Amino acid sequence: MSDARLKWLLLPAGLFVLAVYAWPTLGLFRNAFNETGPTGAMVETWSLKTTAEVLADSFTFELTLNSLWLSLSATLLALALSYPVALFLFRTNSRFRGLLAVVAIMPMLISGVVRVFGWLAILGDRGLVNSLAQSFGLITAPMKLVFNWTGVTIGLAESIMPYMILALLAGFGQLDRTLEEASRSLGATPMRTFLRVTLPLSLPALALAAGLGFVLSMSAYITPKLLGGGRVFVLATEIFEQATTNTNWPVASVLAIYTLVLLLLLLAASNLAARGLKR
Amino acid sequence: MSYLELSGLQKRYRDAVAVDDVSLSVEKGEAVALLGPSGCGKTTTLRMLAGLVDPDRGAIRLDGAEVTRLPAHKRNMGYVFQSYALFPHLSVARNVGFGLEERRVAKAEIARRVVEALAMVRLSGLDQRRPRELSGGQQQRVALARSLVIRPSVLLLDESLSNLDAKLRDTMRHEIRSIQRSLGITTLFVTHDQVEALTMCDRIAVMHRGRIAQIGSPEDIYERPATRFVAEFVGRANALPATRDAEGRVVLWGERLPVAAPAGGEFDLFVRPQRIRILPISEPVADGMARVTGKVLRSVFVGDHVEVLVEGAAGQIQVELQSGTALPQEGAEVALVWRARDTLPFPRETA
Repeated sequence: MSDARLKWLLLPAGLFVLAVYAWPTLGLFRNAFNETGPTGAMVETWSLKTTAEVLADSFTFELTLNSLWLSLSATLLALALSYPVALFLFRTNSRFRGLLAVVAIMPMLISGVVRVFGWLAILGDRGLVNSLAQSFGLITAPMKLVFNWTGVTIGLAESIMPYMILALLAGFGQLDRTLEEASRSLGATPMRTFLRVTLPLSLPALALAAGLGFVLSMSAYITPKLLGGGRVFVLATEIFEQATTNTNWPVASVLAIYTLVLLLLLLAASNLAARGLKR
Repeated sequence: MSYLELSGLQKRYRDAVAVDDVSLSVEKGEAVALLGPSGCGKTTTLRMLAGLVDPDRGAIRLDGAEVTRLPAHKRNMGYVFQSYALFPHLSVARNVGFGLEERRVAKAEIARRVVEALAMVRLSGLDQRRPRELSGGQQQRVALARSLVIRPSVLLLDESLSNLDAKLRDTMRHEIRSIQRSLGITTLFVTHDQVEALTMCDRIAVMHRGRIAQIGSPEDIYERPATRFVAEFVGRANALPATRDAEGRVVLWGERLPVAAPAGGEFDLFVRPQRIRILPISEPVADGMARVTGKVLRSVFVGDHVEVLVEGAAGQIQVELQSGTALPQEGAEVALVWRARDTLPFPRETA
């Protein structure tokens, strides 16, 4: 098939994206130029007043820091947990490898809401962790593990792990068992081999996974909302509040576009970093 | 006791025996080839030597000390991998210096020895390149330099030439052999290529199904194969079904040969194609020569030699003549003559 005819294959997906993504996004951009009247009703106009107000608001700045901090800590936690799992899956000769891979990405198959309730059962005041710690006499009063930043970070890390494991596996191209054997035969201990061979060759994969995890964390809504118990404010939760509770569409739109731009910048930076590491 | 001693090595995997029972003594400075088809256990044996695979049974002794359970990084074995296994993120110089850095050799000394090692494999001036900027032959040289620079107790080469094209392989064969000789380094080659084994080594251990079928000099292996497998695997040979007469002599194509038949059941005669001469049918033959007659089926000119296929009473015989000699006419009745001692009888395999 010629290239000219080949591109028709993209038509159905193109139309679909146009209808459910491009059109609403255009609406988002349109709303960003509207204003909110004194009654709270939207005033159709073309101005940058809402944008200016949102950007000047110190709360926007706080939300941005919160989002970045939450995403960074969740990403690092998830990366620390995903890297060994991905390394294991990449290398194992076990006949259960396929099954293990499915288990690793299983959380993707479960609704975010269900996962959150799972975490409440584990991390809550009378949850698994607290009751175990108390029965061993490690603590007297239950630790506050949910409805705060700790809970959100843990929950978020867990929810992005499957994606990061897949990204790591996809990025492990250069990693070759023989290289580690070569390192050992040249006198490097297993630890030195990890530091000098395995880790440097994993860097492109780690950058890729970290970029993906960060973007997913930035746009996560369910986990901060439910595990945060109303105490954790990030960009995603604020957009939802403005759009639904306050029905302030212009502010919600400006915040959404602001988040989008932030994410695009981060993605570009992560791509550059990954390319630099691959050389 | 020899410098390197393998005794009773065995390695089983889940559903297969990779190495069944391998014992081998290697003298200091000697080059020994482990030759065999794929799956014969030669690479597993090499990996056990390097400490990359733990043997289930048996022992490895190096210079009098047992190293069977010593981890790879404490063994000081230079391993050249089939894929070269150069570190893609390090320059050629850092690759070669890797083992010295791990041994905490002083920086200046590392630099000096890296330059020396690269000069030895004729790669001077390429030290700042990345491995992927090098050709296959150059990568092979870097891998060799990287293994030699640590002054290993034993150099282990795993099918190291099989990824090179034929011409380069020839060059590298001679280069590696001359480096090995000038350094006097004890070397084990794993190869499935008999030319490699025959030309690069002092001794050859032919491996078959996880065991050593025969060990000896290249000449021993070629001229006096101990088993049918060795005769078939090393060099080419006609396998000719033969019978014995009442006096216990070999009968082939109805002719009695001055060769003693082996005891036992059915057997085949192995005769190398280049050991057979083609003579006019009327020509008398001397004592101690085997002679059968047949008809020339076809002659094929292959450049440095001519392959002649002769059909006799009960089968065909391949003959290899030097080119430049007169080609036998197709369809001509001829006598095939060879020395009795070039006839190797082996029992027929009852596979």
